[in-house]
Amino acid sequence: MATEKPDTHQVLMDDDGEEPDIKRGMFEAWAAKAIKNPKRTYKAMFYTATIFFLVTTLFPFYWLFQVALTPRDNLQDVGLVPSGFDPSLLAQGDITMGTNPGVFLEVFTLIPFHRYMINSFVIATVTTIVVIVVASLAGYVFGRLRFPGKGPMMLLVLIVSFFPPAAFFIPLNELFNTNIDILRPILTDGSLYNTPYAMVVPFSAIFMPLSIFILTTFYAQIPDGLEDAARIEGTTRLGALFRVIMPLSAPGVATAGVLTFIAVYNEFFFSFLMTDGSAENWAPIVDGILQYQGQYEVLFNVMAAASIVGVLPVAILVVVAQEKIVSGLTAGALKE
Amino acid sequence: MGNVKLEHIVKRYDDVTAVDDMNLDIKDGEFVTFVGPSGCGKSTTMETIAGLTKPTEGTVNISGRDVTNLPPKDRGISMVFQNIALFPHMDVFDNISFGLRLRDYDDEEIQRRVDRAAEVVQLEGMQDRMPEEMSGGQRQRVAIARAIVRNPDVFLMDEPLANLDAKLRVHMRTELQRLHKELDTTIIYVTHDQAEAMTMSDRIAVINAGQLQQIDPPLVCYNEPANTFVAGFIGSPSMNFIEGEITADGFESEYISVDFDPANVGVSVGSKITLGVRPEDVYETSKTEFVDDATAEITARTDVLEPMGNEVFIYLLLSEDAESSMDTSQADDQLLMSTDPDTTLGEDDEISVVLDRSKVHLFDTASGEAISHGLTASAAAPTVEAEEASSD
Repeated sequence: MATEKPDTHQVLMDDDGEEPDIKRGMFEAWAAKAIKNPKRTYKAMFYTATIFFLVTTLFPFYWLFQVALTPRDNLQDVGLVPSGFDPSLLAQGDITMGTNPGVFLEVFTLIPFHRYMINSFVIATVTTIVVIVVASLAGYVFGRLRFPGKGPMMLLVLIVSFFPPAAFFIPLNELFNTNIDILRPILTDGSLYNTPYAMVVPFSAIFMPLSIFILTTFYAQIPDGLEDAARIEGTTRLGALFRVIMPLSAPGVATAGVLTFIAVYNEFFFSFLMTDGSAENWAPIVDGILQYQGQYEVLFNVMAAASIVGVLPVAILVVVAQEKIVSGLTAGALKE
Repeated sequence: MGNVKLEHIVKRYDDVTAVDDMNLDIKDGEFVTFVGPSGCGKSTTMETIAGLTKPTEGTVNISGRDVTNLPPKDRGISMVFQNIALFPHMDVFDNISFGLRLRDYDDEEIQRRVDRAAEVVQLEGMQDRMPEEMSGGQRQRVAIARAIVRNPDVFLMDEPLANLDAKLRVHMRTELQRLHKELDTTIIYVTHDQAEAMTMSDRIAVINAGQLQQIDPPLVCYNEPANTFVAGFIGSPSMNFIEGEITADGFESEYISVDFDPANVGVSVGSKITLGVRPEDVYETSKTEFVDDATAEITARTDVLEPMGNEVFIYLLLSEDAESSMDTSQADDQLLMSTDPDTTLGEDDEISVVLDRSKVHLFDTASGEAISHGLTASAAAPTVEAEEASSD
């Protein structure tokens, strides 16, 4: 064995030695090396895919950012850098270098954009809470109990989730514009139009099935023994759900919650049609952005700035929640 | 307080009857063990007492209250589970105090009680640990501490030692007995390990196919099994069973006959009888000095020897063409005996053996019910007293 080793080595050396004899271009040489060492190929593929993904994801943000910074007078001339951008202006004491960062303040001075953001945030938060609580109950039932008709009922939930939300719009719009006497004490004119309820209610229903399925899978994995132990120790079934099963399914709850929150925060169709678009009437962010569109001029730079500002809360949420999800996945390995 | 009474408990799942007319009366402070093969309904019975499943019929009484329709938390019980079931997201203190916090005890009382419980199970100074940082035995102690901290009327233990390794299991067995002595609370213990059942219990409840077979102190279950199931289940290796018939002279089967007066044991001539004898009550004819009252000699050939160290188990074949099989309880022409470790017997040796008449059990073949435990040559009826006298 020991004597064979140098031989193999010699053969390899010979192969390597031949290479410089062939005249190869840069790519051909790289390809020849990659055939010998497939790891190089995988690495190259990984970088290609990553760069492609990053560009397609981040380029729109860059585009928004540079449109926002373009001064209002140059909006007809938008390129890869803000038109009017000139680094040489820095030497003359102009730290904006010919761009318009003041647009991020204009977002809030032209219209009460913060109100629109708060509206969206509140609607998304309330919807998420409603969805998590109700979907937890459904997930507990589907994931942990055995009863006749379970399969058909889950199928029904799945089928409902397949309906396009637009299909619900006309009946819901009719319903929410009807004055209902019993709602009069809490709503000024007894109708849900122009109230957050007109959005929270349909959003909760539309985004519920996904959360139900996520939570069903997670709750089904919690060992029965833990629930039994909690019930013996003094909780009810509901208490066991909220004190033991939900904390142990934290990654699933976080996933369902984040998905619901983002979906509602970004929702346009219902939000646009269930309010008259004014901030006092709980119109969400998209309505706010549309306010920058005047009769004679469209303020693309302010709209772009508003879009970036509007994205920030969700971006922060995702970064924070992702850390939670990852930590939950590693720490949540249940050992019994 | 702390007595448990089951009356006519029946639990059916669809078309399977898991528990069939179970009646139990467990006294305060008693250590009762449920034993039986897998799927015999012992765990279901336990869950019925705990309130985790509702019986289809019958009532459960704990401490004199009818708790059949109460949720588990209101029954005054606590439970230790086979899979330990500590809450993985809570540290030891939170795990132990979970039930107390739910019941709104004040912080000082909780701390005092948790400290006391941790002391009982010897877990001092570990209250900040997470369950995943602990060994199996420590986790099981936490689970026990969680069970005792609420001072329940009744402890339920569902195979609590089954997931521990053999050495730890023996250790925890002693710990549990010490705990029972210290707390003096009713303990109901489910196991399929008969060593645990024999060593720990005040009484053993043998369950098979959802039915209670016998509930008696361990030695009574061993010496006077109520039927063939209990006789075969309690004791390892299991009792020899030989099927035969009653003649005017006593018991008669193809290879073994034991003579007695059928009238004395209350059986009629011609009835089908199963004779049961434990391996340690089969003796070589040369060693009959240990036996007061031996049966007629039985000639046999040794098949397989199993030296255990303190004794040797010998499988005997009673006929020439007997099929070698380890399952002595199934075949009429095989017999298992145990003898001293210094025996000179080897494989395929011809020997003759006798049975200790005072340790022979008679069962009705059809029903499996015990007819008599021990036979005497004299006219006196075979009784427990006769058995004890002969074993002296």
